[in-house]
Amino acid sequence: MKFKPANVSVPEIDMTPMIDIVFQLITFFMVITNFDQNEADERVTLPRDQLAKPPMAVRKNSFMLNFGYDIDSTGKRKSEIPYLFFGDEKATLEQVRPRLQQESQFYKTIGTKYEDVTVEIRADARVPAGMVQELIQMCQEDKIQFQRFALKATQKAEP
Amino acid sequence: MKLRNRASGSRIAVDMTPMIDVVFQLLIFFMCTLKMIEPEGDFDISMPLGAPMADSVTDAELPPFKVRMEADANGELVNLSFNGENLGGGLGAISSLNSKVFRSITALQAIGSDQLEKQEVEIDPDYNLNYRYIINAIGACSGRIGQNGVHIPYLQRIKFAPIRQQQ
Repeated sequence: MKFKPANVSVPEIDMTPMIDIVFQLITFFMVITNFDQNEADERVTLPRDQLAKPPMAVRKNSFMLNFGYDIDSTGKRKSEIPYLFFGDEKATLEQVRPRLQQESQFYKTIGTKYEDVTVEIRADARVPAGMVQELIQMCQEDKIQFQRFALKATQKAEP
Repeated sequence: MKLRNRASGSRIAVDMTPMIDVVFQLLIFFMCTLKMIEPEGDFDISMPLGAPMADSVTDAELPPFKVRMEADANGELVNLSFNGENLGGGLGAISSLNSKVFRSITALQAIGSDQLEKQEVEIDPDYNLNYRYIINAIGACSGRIGQNGVHIPYLQRIKFAPIRQQQ
């Protein structure tokens, strides 16, 4: 008597629920990823205030100045001098003038009025107030002339 | 000629592997680029050009409210005064400042509501005062959070006094 060979069937896994979940995860990460705050430097610990509110409309012409302390991997300050951070580069308050002049020149070249440019200052909570005032004053010098400033803070009450 | 009934035939199996590959790549990308940042807000500062950090001439009819902030050697707030009135130090002084500003703007509203928009606040800190107290003082002058979490605005025109020399 001749027997039929048993059909070797590969069990099929239903992928649908997994794909569903993965799409949900992607959507979640896409929504919470904030591409706007890429300019923010992690070394700066912002001061906190409940009343700090995000701008009503997105600012078309603005640039950010991160002003804080250089820290090591444990979060300790490396030096007592605050720096302005530009990605991997850093500059002291005295060294930042050429960069501000460059920024000012850029807005002049593209024909944007200085009144329409906002300088967003992300200064560390521990930076001396006088240094932030000096930075603002520097932004108003003859060859720079910015007039609008926004001081950044985290939207939370002081603990 | 006999035709096969195709309608009842086999379904076309779509190969899902490339899609799943791409989807996983995307998932890993978003997971890696995720930075948990607390929501940030800001305060607008009006610093007109011409006479920077000085008593500039503005359209305000009334003199600015003066907030003087004194610091100790560590940069902590030891003395805060509002229009010459001493309010003490620390964060308690900030909440006192908030109430003082509220009283002052209530008096201003009695004169006329447009005065409120024109009224300026001039913040005059010691050089070494920690910057967080500046933000707290600006917050206290700019409004308060009401019972339902609603923002009640006070004054919006905030500027700095000339820089004090480092001691």
